[in-house]
Amino acid sequence: MGAHISIPMYRRTVPQRYRLAGQRCTACGRVNFPPKAVCRYCRTGTGFDSVRLSGRGTVYSYTVIAGGGAPPEFSEEARCKGSYPVVLVELEEGPRIIAQLVDPPEEGITVGMKVEAVFRRIYEEEGVIRYGFKFRPV
Amino acid sequence: MQGVAIIGAGQTRYGDFPDLGVKELFAQAYFEMLRSVDRGLDPGMIQAAYIGCLSAGGGFQLGQLAPLLMGHVGLPGVNAVRVENACASGGYALFNAACAVASGKFDLVLAAGVEKMRDVSSSKGRYWLGVSGDTEYERLAGSTFAGIYALMAARYMHQYGLKREHLSMVAVKNHRHAVNNPKAQFRREITIDQALKGAPVAYPFNVWDCSPTSDGAAAVLLCSAKMAANFTDRPVYLRGFGAASDYLAIHDRDSITGLAATRKAAAEAYRQAGVSPREIDFAEVHDCFTIAEILAYADLGFCEEGRAHHLLEEGVTQLGGRLPVNVSGGLKAKGHPIGATGCGMACEIFRQLRGEASEPSRQVKNARLALSHNVGGSGGTAAVFIYQGGGQ
Amino acid sequence: MAKSVVSYGSYIPFLRIRREEYISALGSCGADIKEKAVMDIDEDTVTMAVEAASDALAGVDPARVGVLALASANFPYGEKFIAGTLVEALGLSGSVLTSHHGGSALAGSEAFLAALGLLDQTDREYALVIVSDAPQASPSSGLDHGFGAAACAFVLARDGSGLEFEGACSRAGEFMGLRYRTAGETGVRDIGVGAYSSMAYNETVSASLSGILEKMGRIPGHYRCLVMPQADVRADTALAKKMGFGEDQTRDGLVYNLVGDAGCCTPFLGLCRALESAGTGEKILVCTYGAGSGSHSMSFCLNGPLPASPRPVGSLLEKKRQIGYIHYLKLKRII
Ligand SMILES: [Zn+2]
Repeated sequence: MGAHISIPMYRRTVPQRYRLAGQRCTACGRVNFPPKAVCRYCRTGTGFDSVRLSGRGTVYSYTVIAGGGAPPEFSEEARCKGSYPVVLVELEEGPRIIAQLVDPPEEGITVGMKVEAVFRRIYEEEGVIRYGFKFRPV
Repeated sequence: MQGVAIIGAGQTRYGDFPDLGVKELFAQAYFEMLRSVDRGLDPGMIQAAYIGCLSAGGGFQLGQLAPLLMGHVGLPGVNAVRVENACASGGYALFNAACAVASGKFDLVLAAGVEKMRDVSSSKGRYWLGVSGDTEYERLAGSTFAGIYALMAARYMHQYGLKREHLSMVAVKNHRHAVNNPKAQFRREITIDQALKGAPVAYPFNVWDCSPTSDGAAAVLLCSAKMAANFTDRPVYLRGFGAASDYLAIHDRDSITGLAATRKAAAEAYRQAGVSPREIDFAEVHDCFTIAEILAYADLGFCEEGRAHHLLEEGVTQLGGRLPVNVSGGLKAKGHPIGATGCGMACEIFRQLRGEASEPSRQVKNARLALSHNVGGSGGTAAVFIYQGGGQ
Repeated sequence: MAKSVVSYGSYIPFLRIRREEYISALGSCGADIKEKAVMDIDEDTVTMAVEAASDALAGVDPARVGVLALASANFPYGEKFIAGTLVEALGLSGSVLTSHHGGSALAGSEAFLAALGLLDQTDREYALVIVSDAPQASPSSGLDHGFGAAACAFVLARDGSGLEFEGACSRAGEFMGLRYRTAGETGVRDIGVGAYSSMAYNETVSASLSGILEKMGRIPGHYRCLVMPQADVRADTALAKKMGFGEDQTRDGLVYNLVGDAGCCTPFLGLCRALESAGTGEKILVCTYGAGSGSHSMSFCLNGPLPASPRPVGSLLEKKRQIGYIHYLKLKRII
């Protein structure tokens, strides 16, 4: 099975995945992440300044992907962890983003829990490591 | 705009058919549809065909599937096109067919859908099922399709006090509904205890919260209202049809305790039909996961947001209740052959509104107005239809 | 003013395995550890490097970093330009001078010394040194028992107040058969000849240590702290004692018993830990050892306060989750 996301496609989003590079709309001042051609908030702004997000945020919702149901690219991780949490995080700059949660608290994940972005391996395909952000409880 | 009527509908049973491919499945549904036209139909009169298919389950015929299928049933010259909006592919085939008739361009248009999902290994199936979301971010978060709906469910539980039991109530109800539906993939009841204790899939979901993968096909024949009487005395009218989109990725949406695409599509369908949600007698809604049916209740106007689980507690949406939902068994138990699902819903409603439910026990009594609701992926697209029968 | 470390950061993986887990699974544990750090399935020396470097850069404008020196004997790729990943992840300038160091547990001090030199080749004021390592050996060999993982990073300034670099001394010689790995192998081997191994260590390390004392014109008593290589703490202790260093001088830089042997990173993690209790004016010696064999000794003096690391080593040592041996084998991709 070939790569699900081609390497050139992955590479095009490296600034987002490696360091949460977002865009601040010059029209309304709000922060878009991932980047858009037209601002997601005012829906008119097309001019943006690059802004690096802090990676801090809170859990807006969460799930735990059971090992057997993980996408094939994540099966090694699922086998090792048994299951892994995926969270929808509301970043302090405003946007929400979805990612895995590492080092989940033993007492369980809760909505509103504070998290910070971490740089991790997402998966490996074609022998190429795909790095990107995940979140970790603060 | 001219009025649109359904004059025929057919579908395969949904389930496992290792000896049938997309062509054979499509042909079965097509011929059943032809047989259902009361006064018969010369197939040569069909002017256009819209066929929904994701070609998930392994990508059999990603290009020009529609002419392939039409050629297979002896209609190679018909204007045919494949329609794809993930799980709403069938609904969008129906929507486009309805628009084509309403515009006056055509008078007889086929809306159909087909999917072959059971030919591939479970790992390849999971690989393909992930392609209808936002692959660059949702998929790279290690999430699955179930995981995205699970995020909605967990948020809904947090925000509105929905209990795990409410999710299972949807599964139990829809399984019960499917028992007497010969077209359903799973025709067995499950207990609330079973539904609560399935193997985990994505918190808060277990296997009983998830629709299956299925093979199947469905076909619906649309006719201009003015010509419908040539074919039947009992057409089912498509009084309203709406479709709308939303941000594909869950993280781009303002709210995840409802689907904006459904709300917008429903508003348009109600407006066109000139009816209110209270007038709907029964509905086939998109329950790919149990939470999806719960979200649909409010999105379709059956209750206020956050109140959906009370409808389940009060039995409103079970067969015999004030507003039965998914009397076919829904995606959960009838099955979910992606491209076919939206047309299969129309098929069920066509029969119910004509008093032709296969078993008297599952016939919705005295129904005049019905609604179907088909969602693409996690709500990137949705199509809503309002049907009116002429009485049973 | 002289070249100094003006900020630093460190990282220890969240997962730990205790000595008792080895004993209950295998009957014994071949390493003198209480517990050790283990990388999670989605960690490697690059992700640990980003963690440590992010902390080191907390108060630094990344655009003012002109040098990036990386060290690990265990980069995730055998061949691939690794600095590019760090440049993107940390938001450094694309025109940063880069330098990669690997091959032995000496890589960390090699990177550190290289960065000091490369600072003269850039107009920007800072060099970033990242040392991240996680030695690997087959779990069936005793070598694995002590192998941990950690990373640390240092921002060096051409002129700055902080941990001033005073000088270094090196020793290189040929001692083959000790902690080696042929091209293509993933785990290290060792011929396991104790007396030979001790001789190699003692000759090499004592030469670099006595060399630095001589070069600086100092005696052991001038140093507040000596951070030893910590691949073999027993040998370290014996040698330090023999050379005239007291236990009170080696204690602050010890991390091995809680982290394990983190390859070229261990002595630098020890330095980070020592910095947390060091006061202005105090001097620190850091000694590294790479089997095969080489050793560097580096002399530092704390000439001004250093910003506290966002995550002190002490807190990283406390933030952890214990795992069992089966889980450990899964993380090592054995099962
Ligand atoms: Zn804007």
